[in-house]
Amino acid sequence: MNDSKRAADPRRSAFLAVGISAVLILSACGIEPGDSPTASSNASAGASPGGGEPVGGGEPSGVLNFTNWPLYIDQDDDGSSPTITEFEDETGIDVTYSEAIQDNTSFFGTIQPQLQAGQDTGHDIIVMTDWMIGNMIELGYLEPINVERDVPNFVEHAADKYQDRSYDPGNQYSVPWQSGITGIGYNPELVDEEITSLDQLFDPEFIQKYCGQIGMFSEMRDSMSLALLYNGVTPAEATIEDVEAAQEVLLEQAECVRGYYGNEYADDFANGSLAITMAWSGDVFQLQLDNPDLQFVVPDEGGILWTDNMAIPKGAEHPNDALAMMNYVYQPEVAAQVAEWVNYITAVPGAQEIVRQHVEEAEAEGDTETADYLTAVAESPLVFPTDDMLSRLYSYKVLSEDEERQWAELFQEVVQG
Amino acid sequence: MLGWLRRHSGIVPYLFLVPGGLWLIVFFVVPLITTVSVALQEGTLATGFRLTFNFEIFPEAIDRWSTQLVRSLQYGLTVTVLAMLIGYPMAYTIAFRGGRYKNILLLLVIMPFFTSFIIRTISWKFILADQGFLLGTLKDIGILDQGFRLLATPVAVISGITYNFLPFVVLPLYVALERIDPRLIEAATDLYASRLQAFLRVTLPLSISGVFAASLLSFIPAVGDYLNAELLGSRNETMIGNVIQRLFLVNRDYPEAAALSLVLMAGILVSIFLYIRLLRGQELTV
Repeated sequence: MNDSKRAADPRRSAFLAVGISAVLILSACGIEPGDSPTASSNASAGASPGGGEPVGGGEPSGVLNFTNWPLYIDQDDDGSSPTITEFEDETGIDVTYSEAIQDNTSFFGTIQPQLQAGQDTGHDIIVMTDWMIGNMIELGYLEPINVERDVPNFVEHAADKYQDRSYDPGNQYSVPWQSGITGIGYNPELVDEEITSLDQLFDPEFIQKYCGQIGMFSEMRDSMSLALLYNGVTPAEATIEDVEAAQEVLLEQAECVRGYYGNEYADDFANGSLAITMAWSGDVFQLQLDNPDLQFVVPDEGGILWTDNMAIPKGAEHPNDALAMMNYVYQPEVAAQVAEWVNYITAVPGAQEIVRQHVEEAEAEGDTETADYLTAVAESPLVFPTDDMLSRLYSYKVLSEDEERQWAELFQEVVQG
Repeated sequence: MLGWLRRHSGIVPYLFLVPGGLWLIVFFVVPLITTVSVALQEGTLATGFRLTFNFEIFPEAIDRWSTQLVRSLQYGLTVTVLAMLIGYPMAYTIAFRGGRYKNILLLLVIMPFFTSFIIRTISWKFILADQGFLLGTLKDIGILDQGFRLLATPVAVISGITYNFLPFVVLPLYVALERIDPRLIEAATDLYASRLQAFLRVTLPLSISGVFAASLLSFIPAVGDYLNAELLGSRNETMIGNVIQRLFLVNRDYPEAAALSLVLMAGILVSIFLYIRLLRGQELTV
């Protein structure tokens, strides 16, 4: 054996180098090892995260980074938002408005490393769905706020049911941006009867008639929650056995399901591929402008009311500016302006009167097209739901890490066989 | 510097390899090692992942998703065969009968690439919609049953993938066929070969390197494709790419997703190895 020759062989040493670096990298590249005291202690302590003193109570700094979902604020023809522009004019705060949030989990993934390291994320206001707000509160990732002191318009103008929300008791961390309903949409051209019940979405015998024309959501919380309601279980109180039973319902339904959709269900609903589908209220409102026949119902057993909320991530640099914005959008005039454009449910019931005033103004100007559109907004139960609808709506359950994994595994078997 | 290079001229070829080598290390070796590492970790996103060398994950993942793994390999194989059956005559015609239209015909083959992969696939969704202009019309004039549909069937998914990867098949086949000297085929017919014999014994063997390249270029991306199954399929057409995508982005179960990715890579490598054995003795490189 010739050791010196072996060492000199360039290929051999290259393999050796790759091997050594592989071992080094393998051992070094864990994803944020989880011994951060904030994350683990808060997650296990659960109920009351040590939030500390509320931020705010000071003068705005003049800068605000507001991060929201796409198409979720009013827009004029050149693409800028009148609400933002008017806020800037009134307060002198320079707003950077970005539409970077496509969905809760992947956006959370992008800011989680900074939050865990205790750094500023670069966002002063983020808009997250209720269950994610619940998770972020538990992890200690949101700044506590004092709505009585800093967001008085919320206290004065928000509907009662928004004043105490299960995922953020006492409004300690967030205020709602917009809400929406998850219910059933159906196309009377393809469906002979009136749809009123979850039986008509899940009952294996009933749906035979519409086999292959049923739409469901790939959003685990929405689909699971409707199946839970069908079984008579309140989603927020579901145990793992309840969820397993709900999975059974979804699996039995699966052979007749056309697809498990994201936002694109609206295309198939509009083009007649779906007869009965899970649906979000704001989408159906917009589809109805083209096809007034399409229907949206909150089933007798109940539907889901979800809420996207404005919150200040831990370590944000401009909390006073963020609170000024939160307070600003709770003026009924501003809430109406946003509602007229986004067509989801505003937390400010007083906005309905303002939209009606706008209808009269448009009529006085002879602009019948605008007047018709605004009448549709003001009178639609999808934008301003009736008390009867609201009484049948439930919230998502805020899931722990373990529950989320179990639910997700059960649901993936439904969606992907 | 130049003088040093002249004295050690043996090193120059290796220097030329440096850019490519770095590229491979940064974009292939490092991601591959990361994937192996992630597969062997346990934990959650909020509390972090730790390397525990959990090799159990591989049999678990294979067991849980075997249907989708097998389906993906089947779809990949079907797509490759279909693309070859459609692409070979196309490439043959362009190479031998294209004449002065050759360049235009090649341009037409590449033309779909001027729009994005996603847009092209979404367009198929519109074309094949149950009440869309194609099926809707055929149903209205009574040729098709009202309940007939193409979307959400294996036919739609396999056709979608075949359509999307067809140019990858035509181009290497064209290159291989174009280089064949027509006089060889003339010689074969002069020696009393029929046209079929000339094709089977001269043209086809000479183009086998193109067939090899074309089938790899369609099989590998087809097996890993998830977009067509996502847009044109339903849960019964779920491919392994869809499962991995959901595990990564929705469930945030990084270890299982990474493990499945590695299983998929291994599956593809084994298939290719078998394929090379099948073509043993042929001249595969050019």
